[in-house]
Amino acid sequence: MSQRSDAGLSRRRFLRNAGLAGLGVVGAGPLLNACATSASSGPVTQTGGAVTVQSNLSAPAAKSAIDALVTAFNDRGGASASVNTVASETFRTQLPSYLTSANPPDTYTWYPGSLLSGYAEKGLLLDVGDVWQTMGDYSEAFRTLSSDGKGKQIFVPTTYYWWGMFYRKSKFAEWGVTPPANWTEFLALCRTLQGKGIAPIGLGAGGNTPWIASGWFDYLDIRINGAQFHRDLLAGRKRFDDPKVKQVFATWMEALPYFDPSGTAVAFQDATTSLLQGRTGMLLIGAFFADSAPKDALGDIDFFQFPIVDPAVPVAEEGPTDGFFASARTPRKAEVAEFLTYAATAEGQDVYIKASTGTVLPTNPGAKDSGTGLVTKGRKLLQDAKELTQFFNRDSSDALQPTADSALVRFIQNPNEVDSILTDWQSAAEKIWNA
Amino acid sequence: MPETGSATALKDAFGTLNAPKASFRARRPVRRRVPPVLLFFLLVPLAVEAFWVFWPALQGFWLSLTNWDGVSPPTFVGFGNFSELLGDPIFRDSALNTLIWLVLFGGLSAVGGLGLALLLQREGKGVGFYRAALFTPVVFSLVATSLIWQALYQPDGLLNQLLGGLGLESWQHAWLADPDTALYAVLIPALWRQVGYVMVLYLAGLKGIDPSLFEAAKIDGAGRWQQFRFVTWPQLRSVNSVVLSVIIIDSLRSFDVVWSMTKGGPYHSSELLSTYMYAEAFQSLRLGYASALAVVIFVLAFGVIVAYLVRAFREDDQ
Repeated sequence: MSQRSDAGLSRRRFLRNAGLAGLGVVGAGPLLNACATSASSGPVTQTGGAVTVQSNLSAPAAKSAIDALVTAFNDRGGASASVNTVASETFRTQLPSYLTSANPPDTYTWYPGSLLSGYAEKGLLLDVGDVWQTMGDYSEAFRTLSSDGKGKQIFVPTTYYWWGMFYRKSKFAEWGVTPPANWTEFLALCRTLQGKGIAPIGLGAGGNTPWIASGWFDYLDIRINGAQFHRDLLAGRKRFDDPKVKQVFATWMEALPYFDPSGTAVAFQDATTSLLQGRTGMLLIGAFFADSAPKDALGDIDFFQFPIVDPAVPVAEEGPTDGFFASARTPRKAEVAEFLTYAATAEGQDVYIKASTGTVLPTNPGAKDSGTGLVTKGRKLLQDAKELTQFFNRDSSDALQPTADSALVRFIQNPNEVDSILTDWQSAAEKIWNA
Repeated sequence: MPETGSATALKDAFGTLNAPKASFRARRPVRRRVPPVLLFFLLVPLAVEAFWVFWPALQGFWLSLTNWDGVSPPTFVGFGNFSELLGDPIFRDSALNTLIWLVLFGGLSAVGGLGLALLLQREGKGVGFYRAALFTPVVFSLVATSLIWQALYQPDGLLNQLLGGLGLESWQHAWLADPDTALYAVLIPALWRQVGYVMVLYLAGLKGIDPSLFEAAKIDGAGRWQQFRFVTWPQLRSVNSVVLSVIIIDSLRSFDVVWSMTKGGPYHSSELLSTYMYAEAFQSLRLGYASALAVVIFVLAFGVIVAYLVRAFREDDQ
């Protein structure tokens, strides 16, 4: 989730999983592992010594970026690499098979988080400490984020992006409104827009993107209870039926009347269209949404920081980070390290960002971003933040995300059921934490 | 009816095998050996089937008794997953939804398919076109179908525009986002496809009825309803049992249309056993629990098939 890739899925693989599952074949212990070596990695060829980069970046812009990175890596001589792009849903469901197979792909696009630490604990991930030797100028936050929690580096971050309340400058000028400085002003802005017959807040938590709603939960929680409480909550050290979580929903309820009524019915791509056409006023979303916006509209887009609710709480922002990890079973450790080192250099990230839509930020402090006003402002937002969070599924796990989707969509539709929603959420989450 | 046909053929084959055996025994008391080619043709498919179907199925049963995340070794928990199923409200809802699905999807596609088959049975101008048109959805990929229907159901999609055009603004609805309508909104594309399939099965059945039966009925003064009730329906008995097993199996394995349209949401309101199983396995990574769900689905489907086979064999014996 919140990956820069489309939600497309390979129907054949998908149906095969379903079909197998239907027969009661779902997991077939050793058999599945045996299958994985022959079937999971698809057209990957392990011959010739090229580092295989298993990529879930299947959206055109993101795919061309990683292709450019690999081409640049190959052109400089030394080790070579090849990209194998897999639909993101397939990638996600097959990841355990890839990693436990005897002959896995060498390196993978992904993000840091509990899933990776879990794999690291099982000894499936390559220690990339030697790559980090070359990354001395990286910020401490990235170093902590990329560690397995036990002092081993398992991840190489290459790009990150920010979330914000996006709007169209021309529309705000037309409506005679300005970005709010805090929650009270934000609610006043919503009232003004509603008075003009506009749905103030777009959402886009319908279709296949219900996870968008988690952006609201994350931000309200880090604004009201702070980043540390948020992380504890997502890790299972706090409970979803905690009064502090109820406070999050009480605050959310103040803004709920201003949400677009079709917010839970349309996907974020359609919500983007509504925003660009001026049917909705604002949209809380990650910078990736620009991938599905027309180029000519990009210059008119601006954003403001998610309004401060409690000034006493240290400001945290969502800054989801992407990059690479590698399999511990790769026979090409030196070549993999060479590739990851290149991906971490300013040069490698310049190549990547130039070929992408340009709304991502490079993790290497020496690399250039695309230099647009929007990106500069986004980079500053994250630099000024006291703390960074990733996103709901990254700070918790992909397994916990569906429990949030159910709870939050239900809350938006039936805000009065908040008590039973939180009880159900807690019990659904416990099943995941205890699994 | 292919199943009964093959069962009969199988019995005939055994019959002919046994008969000469008996007569041989009288003359030559030598044990007759099965030809190696026959053994080969039996054992190789059996081995393939055992490796790719029976063995994984048994593994699935075993996994349903464990907790497994797909990476670490599974831990044995006995019937823990099954007792958790009993207390799981989402399992209860998805079982109920599967039942609703079975009744509506199965019932409406059988009734609709039969009705259309009766309507399009007679040859005439343009009948071929209508048959083809009704069968076309079966050819489409269900995932592609779902994408088109998803667009129709959008808040500003064709369906709501149509309702608006008819002056029924109050009926306009976020069809897939409302938990009260999501299941039924998903059911319609599935039906749209299945009706054509069932229609073809019934058309084949109707073609197989001897026209002289209808002539005789007409001479006896039977009306249209009586012809249907006393000639067509009894003659369709064998097709009916094929249709019955097809629709039960198809409703239990309905997955792609639901998953690609709602993923079982919003908040599990359109969850079927199949989608819940997939979500538990590949989203929650609780493969043991998902295997327990798979076992439940397997028992349901297997029960139907066994009941059907038993009936088919019994009829054959008569």
